[in-house]
Amino acid sequence: MIEVEHLSKTYVDTPVVDDISFFVPEGQVLGFLGPNGAGKTTTMRMITAFLPPTAGRVVVAGIDLDTDPVALRRQVGYLPENVPLYPEMRVEEYLRFRADIEGVPRSEIGANSEYVIDRCMLGDVRRQVVGTLSKGYRQRVGLAGALIHRPPVLILDEPTVGLDPNQIIKIRELISELGREHTVILSTHILPEVEQVCERVLIIDRGAIVADGAPDELRNQLVGNPVLRVELRGADGGATEPLGTLPGVTGVAHDGGGRYRVEHESTSDPREAIFRLAVDGGWVLTELAPERASLEDVFVRLTTRDETARPVPAEALEEV
Amino acid sequence: MRKVTALVRRELIAYFSSPLAYMVLTAFLLLQGYIFYLIVSFLNDPRTQAMTPLRLFFGGTIFFWLFLLFVVPVITMRLIAEERRSGTIEPLLTAPVTEGQVILGKFLAALAFYIVLWLPTLIYIVILKQHTAIDLGPVASGYLGVLLLGILFLGVGTFASTLTNNQLIAAVLAFAAIVLLFSVGLLQQLLVSSSALRDVFGYMNLWSQMDDFARGIVDTRHIVYELSVGIMFLFLAVKSLEVKKWR
Repeated sequence: MIEVEHLSKTYVDTPVVDDISFFVPEGQVLGFLGPNGAGKTTTMRMITAFLPPTAGRVVVAGIDLDTDPVALRRQVGYLPENVPLYPEMRVEEYLRFRADIEGVPRSEIGANSEYVIDRCMLGDVRRQVVGTLSKGYRQRVGLAGALIHRPPVLILDEPTVGLDPNQIIKIRELISELGREHTVILSTHILPEVEQVCERVLIIDRGAIVADGAPDELRNQLVGNPVLRVELRGADGGATEPLGTLPGVTGVAHDGGGRYRVEHESTSDPREAIFRLAVDGGWVLTELAPERASLEDVFVRLTTRDETARPVPAEALEEV
Repeated sequence: MRKVTALVRRELIAYFSSPLAYMVLTAFLLLQGYIFYLIVSFLNDPRTQAMTPLRLFFGGTIFFWLFLLFVVPVITMRLIAEERRSGTIEPLLTAPVTEGQVILGKFLAALAFYIVLWLPTLIYIVILKQHTAIDLGPVASGYLGVLLLGILFLGVGTFASTLTNNQLIAAVLAFAAIVLLFSVGLLQQLLVSSSALRDVFGYMNLWSQMDDFARGIVDTRHIVYELSVGIMFLFLAVKSLEVKKWR
């Protein structure tokens, strides 16, 4: 659905996006993850035909950005960061305006408006002036505006920033639902969001892709073998050796007292054997739990860097 | 065209939901009311010639010009600058519209507001007509002159608004450019000897062009000058909006 090949954007000699390539199949929800200033927004602006790339190719739904940027825009619904809206317009007026400039056929405007109002739960504020709405509602109005022409592709730049926890949950649910009918790219620097909403993650740092895969896959790939936290009351240091001889176990570390960290192959599950070992040894098993490395660890590992590294030029950060 | 209409309608909603629009309308009517009062006083003076009052109304007083020089930047300052400041330019330019359509929509909305500004003054003509004979020809050409001046100045203002994301800076830029355009023509009066340069300034003299329109003279040279400069600035505005993306 979305093909990006060797895409680059350079501001006065400083590459902000540096030779990025990826492909998003139809119906996928893809998360762009990366620290602030990594080039997420710039990449999205290029895919939405807002910023022209310095080099590279973008094809959305078979339409090449170079040959017909206006037709490409028709395929994409875009919700920019901070949800810019016209504060003086009413919700319905705004949706009507968006439908007009998106070129929705006149006969479909009514139906499409009802659809997005229903979808984004805007029924009780439809006559309200946008400027008087809460942040959560504004976010939904923005999303409704991006959906009004029923685009096959949705691009959402940090859609949950500045919302309270309840609103965040609602927006995430909405995005997950939309992911069933649309191909979605969303950017965020919030990790749990990616784990909940996205089928696939691209971690972007300093304008380049540093990791690509399903959230689970990435975790396993980058963190190594799974680890079990085990506590055997009464064992003290005595269980290290028997634990190490269990099938599938690749390493045991003693954490003091009866606490151990048992590393094992991801293909095996030594939990049952550990239980039997405890019974045989006369120890009380008080804890047996997998230690899940979070995506957070992956993220930090991949994007930690020297802060004196290449500065991003002020121009690149300024809102265009 | 439907996209342009949508842009115009949105812009008009924005104009009439801000207090600024009503302030401008009120101030304009106060000023025109004063000029109308002057006209009536003239008419009560037995020495008045028949043509004078309407020439006074259309650009014959410095108030007309001062107000026009101030009000046009106020009308145009928000057009693009505000879209850029608030970020709404992003959803706008990722919709399937061209930069040309955006500029045209914005400009037409500004022109519509300018026309609304002038509409109430038609009442003066109606009132005058009941008390004295008025030649409607010069009235029509006077309004044509006002419209052309509007196209010229609003075009300049629209261009100025694309240059910055700060409304105030956009207004100051527009004001400076319009004053420059206006005063270049006045240089004609400073050059005593007749020369080619004097003729050039004379051709650009907006005050005398407006005076011609007010006297009922529709001179194609004036129309061509005001229209072409106005359209040139609109063209520059489109280019400026396109170039902003390429930085």
